[in-house]
Amino acid sequence: MAALLEVEREFYAAHEAEWASAHPGRFVVVKGEHLLGAFDSMEQALAAGAASFGADSFLVRKLGEKQEAVNIPALSLGLLRANPQHPASGSGS
Amino acid sequence: MPILNIQLAGQDPSGNQIPAFVALQQRGPVVQVSVSVEQNIAQQLLAQGIALPAPETGFALIDTGATSTCIDEAAAARLRLPAIDVVTVASASHASTQQNVHPIQIEVIGLPITISAPRAIAAPLAAQGLLVLIGRDVLQHCTLFYNGPTGSFSLSV
Repeated sequence: MAALLEVEREFYAAHEAEWASAHPGRFVVVKGEHLLGAFDSMEQALAAGAASFGADSFLVRKLGEKQEAVNIPALSLGLLRANPQHPASGSGS
Repeated sequence: MPILNIQLAGQDPSGNQIPAFVALQQRGPVVQVSVSVEQNIAQQLLAQGIALPAPETGFALIDTGATSTCIDEAAAARLRLPAIDVVTVASASHASTQQNVHPIQIEVIGLPITISAPRAIAAPLAAQGLLVLIGRDVLQHCTLFYNGPTGSFSLSV
């Protein structure tokens, strides 16, 4: 089974430079191997995607924005609801 | 600018009241929220006659350490949220994971506004009693004041 949006992400990677040159800073919507369009805002891109594809998934990315790993330490380190026996304390006025 | 002031109350496992500063230290800054599909998508789906699931309600932990806002992945499935991307979540302790990204809107109960989080990351939060982690993508629009000694915090948007 293909990973979610795998086709769209590969298509985006293949065309990112070309689209970024033509539409710098705009938001693109991709479904399958098809570029729906480039939009001025995330809100416009979401509305256009939903208008065309309903409740199906579609890729939305901002051109020129680097895809960096997301950091959520409390989640990835399992620290949510960590409850130490000796909580930290402070001093001073 | 609406301001939400919260002082936590809590009980220990025996049912005894615990001081607010202890409750805040144990639970963290949590707010009650209602989550639904992002409003621009919702409007389009309604126009197409697609019924929207009822909003999900639960607790959101304000997490200044999180780059992005997260939504519980089971709740995301119940809300039938479309995915709009897949991101890599970094981890220092194990292999990085690929997680879906969903557009949501968050209503903080007690604040007369809704907050858009168009790139919320699906994560297994329900086991921790949480529906949402509010990360810095939302907090960049907010002012948060954490008062540890009084066990209270204020959030304004």
